[in-house]
Amino acid sequence: MNERSIRSIIILFLLLLVAFLSLAGRCFYLQHVRSEHYVDLCIKRYRGRLIKTPQRGVILDSGGRVLAASNRVRTIFAEPREIKDTLNTSVKLAPIVKMRATEIIRLIRESGNPGFVRIKVDATEAQCNAARKIYGIGVQSDWQRSYPTGCLTAHVVGFTSGDNRGLSGIELRYDEQLSGSAGKNIFLADAFRRPIQMRQQSSELTDGVGIILTIDSAIQQFARGELSEQYSSYEAESAIAIVVSAKTGAILAMVSLPEFNPDDIGSAEPDMLRNCAVAIQYEPGSVLKPIIAAIALDSGLVSRYEKIFCENGDYRGTGFGGIGEYSDHRFGDLTVREILIKSSNIGMAKIGQRLGKDKLYEGLRHFGFGQKVDVDLPGEAEGLLRRVGDWNGYSVTRIPFGQEISVTSIQLVRAFCVLASGGRSIRPYLVKAVVDSKGEIVRQRESSPDVGYIVKPEVAKWIVNDCMVGVVNERENGGTGWRAKLEKWQVFGKTGTAQLAGSDGRGYEPNAYVASFVAGAPAEDPEVVVLVSIYKPNTRLGKGYTGGRVASPVAARILEKTLKYLRVPERSL
Amino acid sequence: MRPQFRFVFVVLFFTAVLIFAVYLRNVNNRIFYQLYTLEAEQSWLIQELTHKQLQVESLINPAAVSERLDRP
Repeated sequence: MNERSIRSIIILFLLLLVAFLSLAGRCFYLQHVRSEHYVDLCIKRYRGRLIKTPQRGVILDSGGRVLAASNRVRTIFAEPREIKDTLNTSVKLAPIVKMRATEIIRLIRESGNPGFVRIKVDATEAQCNAARKIYGIGVQSDWQRSYPTGCLTAHVVGFTSGDNRGLSGIELRYDEQLSGSAGKNIFLADAFRRPIQMRQQSSELTDGVGIILTIDSAIQQFARGELSEQYSSYEAESAIAIVVSAKTGAILAMVSLPEFNPDDIGSAEPDMLRNCAVAIQYEPGSVLKPIIAAIALDSGLVSRYEKIFCENGDYRGTGFGGIGEYSDHRFGDLTVREILIKSSNIGMAKIGQRLGKDKLYEGLRHFGFGQKVDVDLPGEAEGLLRRVGDWNGYSVTRIPFGQEISVTSIQLVRAFCVLASGGRSIRPYLVKAVVDSKGEIVRQRESSPDVGYIVKPEVAKWIVNDCMVGVVNERENGGTGWRAKLEKWQVFGKTGTAQLAGSDGRGYEPNAYVASFVAGAPAEDPEVVVLVSIYKPNTRLGKGYTGGRVASPVAARILEKTLKYLRVPERSL
Repeated sequence: MRPQFRFVFVVLFFTAVLIFAVYLRNVNNRIFYQLYTLEAEQSWLIQELTHKQLQVESLINPAAVSERLDRP
């Protein structure tokens, strides 16, 4: 071997050494200096993250009928930023989704979101498979909220937004519980991004809880059907019907008109979305009289059989102005029972004076006026019961016949439930039970404890069985609620016709009334209490506007159907 | 057994074990994917059933029945 060859070998060896050292250096660089970067890159390649959105809980009525439920639908969407030729894409997509190409073009061009335009919701599998082949068009599955009963329970159940958040009613009140929580899983994915191994479960999927309401769809429909008819016939501005179990306070029906369809919320006017049963407060008028009479009798300041002079229809005095009777009636001496049957304002004003400010205020607070009932619905008004310090000379004589006080329909129903249940404290409620996604009961409403009497049982029973039964059954004695009389059951009730306050806050709006009627049956052992309020019936129709004429027939028909449906024994004649 | 054959046998055995391990891993991945796909399919079937149930509910609820009865 000559010297030149040896030198060549040495040079080759050195070159190899340098090459190996470079490789070792590169390895060191990759393994230690840039290791984090490449580990991240690698993880991104083989890891897949999957977020499972939970199924929103179902809302059922007391009989298990579905009022609201979510199910998955396939949505075909377009990604405008990826679409080069909108016309061509739309023409290809149109026959698949059975839409006009111009409509698809309009949707794509008018959308403000360059990444997502919803083209068709609830597409079939075949449509999705065909649409997937078009560049710029994708398919995803979404939860869609459905309301199979439509308008029937719209105000109670409420509705959700496009991203499945509750926006009104039970949907809003129980949004957190109904929503559930998303599940996050990290997978190892193969070259085709198919999951091949579970790597990590960072949070478990929990579907939303189910809510069972006290509402009975059949009773709801009785109430809605009857109320809608009268509402249209009297061209009223709005109307309310509430049916409550007198013994438990469970709300069996709650109807508010005008109504909306939760499946087509875009077409609803803002006024339609308001649940008048809890959101509107108004002066109740004469329907408040039995409550005041009960407070007075319970306090012992008025006795059942004493006669109160009703001033022959004109009662005036310093500090409280002049009080007259409805329809210019002139009553002389009347007992409490007669005052209620004939609905005497002067008789009630005198009872109010006997009670005095403090007892009157205290009594009304005990019956729940001026405070929320808290019936599991958002947007509930408190009503208006001013503090005694803010009362003037008029207050103590006007509140007893339902002026200078504002109430919500649900507060009125609560107060009448107290009387119907023998003076017992009752709070109306809507949610009967909450069940988890496996059907296990999470929370169940306990029946109201038999404690806390608002008025003495004998007082409540007398008001119901003697006075309010007379209002309905003694037409000859001036009973204003005679249209609510039923043959098969003994009905008790009280009418009310209140004027609406003027928009300027002074005086009353001309020809604007709230016609109300609160009734219950059977009087001997009340099962249900019904309230019907019709807001601003059109007086120009000449059909009347009073509670007795407008509201009581509706309440009677609702009562009759409900009692028959609940199989309440008929009275033996 | 001659020592050369023994060596070849050991090499073949370890190769077979490695191939089998890779095969098992592939099977595991495939089964996992199948399970995952079937779970998704089952969930879709349940959803379709729910969809049908909702359609039935919308036809038989008291409001819909009343409406049909009232229709002349």
